[in-house]
Amino acid sequence: MISYILRKIVSTIPTLFGVTFLVFILFNIAGGDPALRIAGKYATAERIAEIRHQHGWDQSLPLQYTHFLKEIVTFDYGTSDVTHQPVRDMILGGIGPSLSLTVPAFFLTTLIAIVIGLLVAYFRGRWVDKVVVIGCVLGMSIPMLAYILFGQYFFAYRLGWFPIHGFEMGFPEQLYSVALPVIIWVMVSLGYDVRFYRTAVLEETNQDYVRTARAKGLAEPRVFLKHVLKNSMAPIITNVVIEIPLLIMGAFLLESFFGIPGIGGITIDALNNSDFQVLKAMTVLQSFLLIFGNTMTDVLYVWVDPRVKLS
Amino acid sequence: MRLQLTWGDIAAKDITMLRRLRASALLPLSLFILSACTHAKKAEPANTLHIASPAKIKGLDPVQADDLYAGDEVSRPYEGLLQYHYLKRPYVLVPALAEALPIVSKDGKTYTFKIQKGILFQDDPCFKETGGKGRELTADDFVYSWKRLADPKNNSPGFWIFDGKVVGISDWHNAAQKAGTADYSKPIDGLKAIDRYTLQITLTQPSSQFLYFLAMPFTYVVPHEAAEFYGVEFANHPVGTGPYRLTESTPGSKYVWDRNPTFRMERYPSEGETGDQAAGYLADAGKTLPLNDRVVMTVYEESQPQWLSFMAGKLDLSGIPKDNYSQAVSASKEINPELARKGIRLVKSPGLDVTYEAFNMLDPVVGGMSPRAKMLRQAISLAMDHDPAIELFYNGRAISAEGPIPPGISGYDPAFKNPYRHENIARAKDLLAKAGYPDGKGLSPLVYLSTSSSTDRQLSELFSKMLANIGVTLDVRTSSWPEFTASIKQGKGQLWGMAWQADYPDAENFLQLLYSKNARPGPNDAAYSNPEFDRLYEKALTLPDGPQRTAIYQQMVKIAAEDAPWVFGVDRLIFDVVHPWTKNVKLNIFDHGWCKYVKIDPSLKK
Repeated sequence: MISYILRKIVSTIPTLFGVTFLVFILFNIAGGDPALRIAGKYATAERIAEIRHQHGWDQSLPLQYTHFLKEIVTFDYGTSDVTHQPVRDMILGGIGPSLSLTVPAFFLTTLIAIVIGLLVAYFRGRWVDKVVVIGCVLGMSIPMLAYILFGQYFFAYRLGWFPIHGFEMGFPEQLYSVALPVIIWVMVSLGYDVRFYRTAVLEETNQDYVRTARAKGLAEPRVFLKHVLKNSMAPIITNVVIEIPLLIMGAFLLESFFGIPGIGGITIDALNNSDFQVLKAMTVLQSFLLIFGNTMTDVLYVWVDPRVKLS
Repeated sequence: MRLQLTWGDIAAKDITMLRRLRASALLPLSLFILSACTHAKKAEPANTLHIASPAKIKGLDPVQADDLYAGDEVSRPYEGLLQYHYLKRPYVLVPALAEALPIVSKDGKTYTFKIQKGILFQDDPCFKETGGKGRELTADDFVYSWKRLADPKNNSPGFWIFDGKVVGISDWHNAAQKAGTADYSKPIDGLKAIDRYTLQITLTQPSSQFLYFLAMPFTYVVPHEAAEFYGVEFANHPVGTGPYRLTESTPGSKYVWDRNPTFRMERYPSEGETGDQAAGYLADAGKTLPLNDRVVMTVYEESQPQWLSFMAGKLDLSGIPKDNYSQAVSASKEINPELARKGIRLVKSPGLDVTYEAFNMLDPVVGGMSPRAKMLRQAISLAMDHDPAIELFYNGRAISAEGPIPPGISGYDPAFKNPYRHENIARAKDLLAKAGYPDGKGLSPLVYLSTSSSTDRQLSELFSKMLANIGVTLDVRTSSWPEFTASIKQGKGQLWGMAWQADYPDAENFLQLLYSKNARPGPNDAAYSNPEFDRLYEKALTLPDGPQRTAIYQQMVKIAAEDAPWVFGVDRLIFDVVHPWTKNVKLNIFDHGWCKYVKIDPSLKK
C-alpha cells in the first residue's frame, strides 16, 4: 500500500508542473497589468517601469517562472500588492472562516443525502421515491442566489432567526453566524447528492449477489443494509473524499452575501484586482488540493473495494 | 430487480440503525438552531456608530489609501496637517494638526506650518522608550511620513502629490530607487523641520492646489517607531494621533474603532452654511469630538444584506442600492412615506464626479484634431443621449453633464450648455455626412470597450441602439475590470466609458484629465492634446482661486466641448438614508474623518 501511495504521489509531479506552467502562461497572456493598478490613477510611464523592475516583471519569462517555482516550494508568495498583507497570512486567515462554513455544511449535506438516498432507493418506485426525486429536481433547478436572497430576507430579516450578515469568532457566535449559510448550502446541494447516492445504491441492487442473498432467504432489510450499502461505499467515498480538500477554498457566493472573510472572497477579490501574488497562490493551492483529493480517492477506493488491484 | 418493501419488513435492529443515522444527521442541525436561540450579542457602547463599506479595505497604511473606503478607514486613527470644514460649502480647508493655515512666501513657493504642541500619538507597544506611552508629535514626523510616501519600496499610489512638486523629493526617490533602499537620514531640500514644531515645504513652482493635497489621507502623519516595529504588519496596526484607535479587526472586512483617550481637544464646528442651523447641524456646536464612543465599520460586498441590515437598524446610515431605490425614494425624489413614518431621513449631496465616454484620440478614425474626426465625434456625442440612462441606470440620481466640471466644484458654470449634448439626430446625421460618413456609410464598427458587469453591458446596449439611429455601429468588447483598464492604457479601443470623482474641490482636478502631459498611462486616458488647452491649463495652475482663474476654466471647458474628446455623461447625486437616532450626517466627500462628527442618540433607538 505504501509503495502504491508513493507511486501515486510521484505520478502527480508532472501534473503539478503542468499546472504551474499553465498558470504562469495564463497570467502572462491574459488578465490585466498589475503595474498599472499599483501605479494608481496618476500613473506615469517611469513609475510603471519602476514597478515592473521592482517586481521582476521586466525579467525574462524563464527567470520569472523559476522565481514562481521557488515561491511554490517555499510557500512564500510575498506580500499582496492590493491588501498589503503577506499572502501566506491572508490564506491562513481565510481558511478558518471558510472551513467553519464548508465543513459543517458538507458533512451535514453528506449525512442527510446518504440517509435520504438510502431510503428512497429502499422504496424505489413508490410515492416516497417519486416525491423525493421530484423535490431533488426542483431543488437543483433553483440557483443558489435565489436561496440566498430568500433565506436572508425571510429567515434573517423577517423572522430574525439568524444574523443578516457578519462573521463572529468563538462559540456560539461563530456557529450562529454561519448557521443560515450552512442551511442554504445543504438545501442547494441536497438535490444533486440525494440523486447521486440513490443511483449508487440502486446500481448495486441489480447485482447478482443481491439475487443470491435473497435466494438464500435473507430478509430484505438485511440484504439492503448489510450487502447493498457496503458495496455502494466505493462511489460514495469517491464522491465525498474528492470534495474534502477543496472545502478549504470556501464558497464565494455565500461568503460574499454573509460577510464571511473566507478564501472564496479572497480569491475573487484577487481576480478583480489583478492581485497576481494572491491569484498564483490560490490557483496552485487549488490544483494541489484537487490532485491530493484525487490521490486520496484512488487510495481509499483500493481500501474499500478489494477487487481493485494495487497496480 | 425492484425492492418491494414496506416499513413492516424492516427488522428492529435495522430501524435502530436508521434512527442513529438520522439522529447523527440532525445533531449538527439542532446545534445550529440552539446556537441561534442562545446567541447573546456582545456588549458595546450605546452610542456606537455602525457604518458600511461596499468594498474591502486595502489595509490601514495612509500611503496606500488610494480609494474612498481606505481613505475613510485610515482617517479614524490618523490625521494630517489640514482638513475640510465639516459643514461649510463650498469646501473650505481648516487646520487639523497644524496650528493655523500656513504662511506662504511671496513667490508662492514656500509654505511654513506651525504644528500644534502637545499632540500625542496613541499609546502603543511600539513606543519602547516610553513603555508604550504615545510620544508627542513633532515636525520631524511629517518629514518621515512624507519620505515614506516617496520611498519606492512602498510603491505609494499617492506619490504624485509631491513628485516633481516639492523641491528635491523626486531626486530622493530616484536615488532610493537606484540604490535599492531609501536613506531616511538623507535630507530633502524642499521638506524641512525647522524646529520641533515648524515644518517648511518648498515647491518647485507655485501651486494653488497644494494645500488641498495636505488634507488627503496620503499625507497623514505616522510615527517611525510604529512603521519600523510592525514592518509588513504596519497596515494592520495603525498608530496615529486621530480620534479613534483600533480595538478589533478582521483585516479588510471589519474594523472596530474606540474613542482614543489621548485625542487632542477638538470641538464640533459652531458655524456652517446657510440652512445648517435650521437643519439641526449646529445642535452640537462646541461639543468635544468625537461624538460617539465607537465606530464599527463592516464591509457589505452585496447590496441586499446592506439594505436589510439598515432596515433592521443594524446600520445607522446607508446608501440606497439600485434595486431598493423605489422602496426608499418616492417619485418626487423624497423619502418614501413608509420610511418617513419610521423617522428615516434622506440626505442628498452632489457626487462631485463626472462619467464620460472617452474617444481614443490617437486612433486614426475617431482621434486627432482634423475637422473630419472632430465632426465624427460631435455627431456621436449628439446621438449618444445620456438622459434616458439617468432614469434607467441611476434612478434619476444624476444630471446630464455639459462639460468635465461637475456642480459643487469651484469653476462649474451652471449656465454653460454644451452644443453637442442631448439627442439631436438630424444634426448628428448632418455632421456625420460632413465628416464623410453619410448614414454611417464607410465607417467601420467602432470598438467600444466595456467592463463585463451587467450594468455596463446594458449601458453598452443602450448606446449601440442610440448610435444605430445615425448608422454608426458599435463593436462592444467586454472584459474584466483589470483587463478593461489595461486595454484602455494600451489604446486598444476607439471608445470606452469611464468616471472620475474629485480628489479635491478644484476644477483643475477634472481639467487635468485632458492635459496632454497627463496622457495615458496617466489620467488623460483619451490622450487628448490641444496646445491652447494646455497653455490655459498651465496658466491656471499658478493662479489663486478667483474670477481670472474661473474665466480660464470656462474657456477650457468650451474648447473641450468643441473638440469633443469625450462624450460627456452624467454628474451623479448621492442619496443616503439615515435613521432618526443618527445625527449630524452631512455628506462631505473630501473629509474622510466625518465619523467623529456623527452622533448616535441611544434614547431614540428602540
